[in-house]
Amino acid sequence: MSRWFSSTPASGPALGLEPVAPAAALGEALLRLAAREAAMLEGQVNFLTPELLQVDSLVREAAGTLEEALRSLDRSVQGQHALVEEVQAAMNISLEGSQESSGTASFGHAIMGTLEHLLGHMSEISESTELLVSEVNDIRERSQRMENMLEEVAEIAGRTHLLSLNASIEAAHARQFGAGFAVVAGEVSKLADRSTALSSTLQEQVQGTRLALERTDAHVHTIASKDLNLAQKSRGESEALVKALEASNGTVTGLVAQLEANARQISEQVGHVVRSLQFEDLVHQTLMACLKELGNLQEQAEAWKALEAGLGAGEPAAAGLARLEGRLGEIEASRVQFRAVKSGTLEAGEVDLF
Amino acid sequence: MGHCILTVDDSSTMRQMITFTLKGAGFEVLEAGDGVEALEVAKGKKLSLVVTDVNMPRMDGITLVQRLRALPEFKFTPILVLTTESDASMKQKGKEAGATGWIVKPFSPEKLLEVVNKVL
Repeated sequence: MSRWFSSTPASGPALGLEPVAPAAALGEALLRLAAREAAMLEGQVNFLTPELLQVDSLVREAAGTLEEALRSLDRSVQGQHALVEEVQAAMNISLEGSQESSGTASFGHAIMGTLEHLLGHMSEISESTELLVSEVNDIRERSQRMENMLEEVAEIAGRTHLLSLNASIEAAHARQFGAGFAVVAGEVSKLADRSTALSSTLQEQVQGTRLALERTDAHVHTIASKDLNLAQKSRGESEALVKALEASNGTVTGLVAQLEANARQISEQVGHVVRSLQFEDLVHQTLMACLKELGNLQEQAEAWKALEAGLGAGEPAAAGLARLEGRLGEIEASRVQFRAVKSGTLEAGEVDLF
Repeated sequence: MGHCILTVDDSSTMRQMITFTLKGAGFEVLEAGDGVEALEVAKGKKLSLVVTDVNMPRMDGITLVQRLRALPEFKFTPILVLTTESDASMKQKGKEAGATGWIVKPFSPEKLLEVVNKVL
């Protein structure tokens, strides 16, 4: 507990002067009043000095804290700007060696485009391949049927040849009567030979067609293989994009954590500012107490001036001194006994819940 | 519905700092410059909490606490005294008047919110 003044008030007994006091008694009374006034003045100086020093201390502390808090806020805000720019940059992902960068939206669009392109291409190739396989199968079946037919033709040619041979034998048995028949048998034999030759040529052609079909099969397999290569390439591109996205997410997550830490720091600095700005209230209350004390000093001065004026006007000294003593007593009684602001610092005050 | 808090202080800076802190935490805040104005503002309001200074013109904080406690609608409303006074005898007066707690200025926003959330 700090009192405004520590010295005991010099309030002695009432003057009790006789209407006409001897000069010695007046001198003694005057000395007592002077001592009382000196004690009051000392007490007031003792009060005003720490109060004004406290004001100085509070203002200095507030100014220092505010300056530091504002500098820190400035740094934090600049850091915040830089982090936001980094976040924006991290969200613009460069696509595999490309100098162009795009945002997350176009990044997703790129993935979807690649996949759609792949699917479209695969679908087209699949349809074409199915048609091709169907056509090849059809040709193969027709070719097989032709081979069967050619075998039959070959068999007919063989039988015709045998028939013409038998006809020639029979014509020989019939001698001169079979001469015409032998000519017919010879022609039939020739036709059988041509038929066999034609069948053989056709067989060669059909075999050529089969070889062409085998090559077509090989081409179909090549196309299927290319489809697989394209699918693998697209998959690789998609995986690269996804990895880039994951890396970007990791960077953004780290930056967001820094932003949060920065925000906490800003909040802390704002707390310092809020605490420091309360110096206005503390200083105001201290200065009000100082002004009250200065008012007391003014009243004391006026009381002494009144004594001077009274004595100058011929007032009895004893009466004047008695009035002065009474007034000084009133002023002393009206003084505030406790300091308005105890805390000489801007540290947060104590909390007491009842 | 959110909490409505009345803050009473003759210093506009203090009122601003308290309002800034409480509004930032999502509370609705009403302001008054002294005890007399506080009673007028509080009239007919559903307040969750009152935060008052002690040394104010017209009506001081201790008297305000007594006057509020005399009103049925504020009989159980938490009232925190926020003041530069830290003297034990003044605290005792506040306690006897019906205050819920005593906070010595200057306050830190974090601590004030902690106390406010505790008494609400």
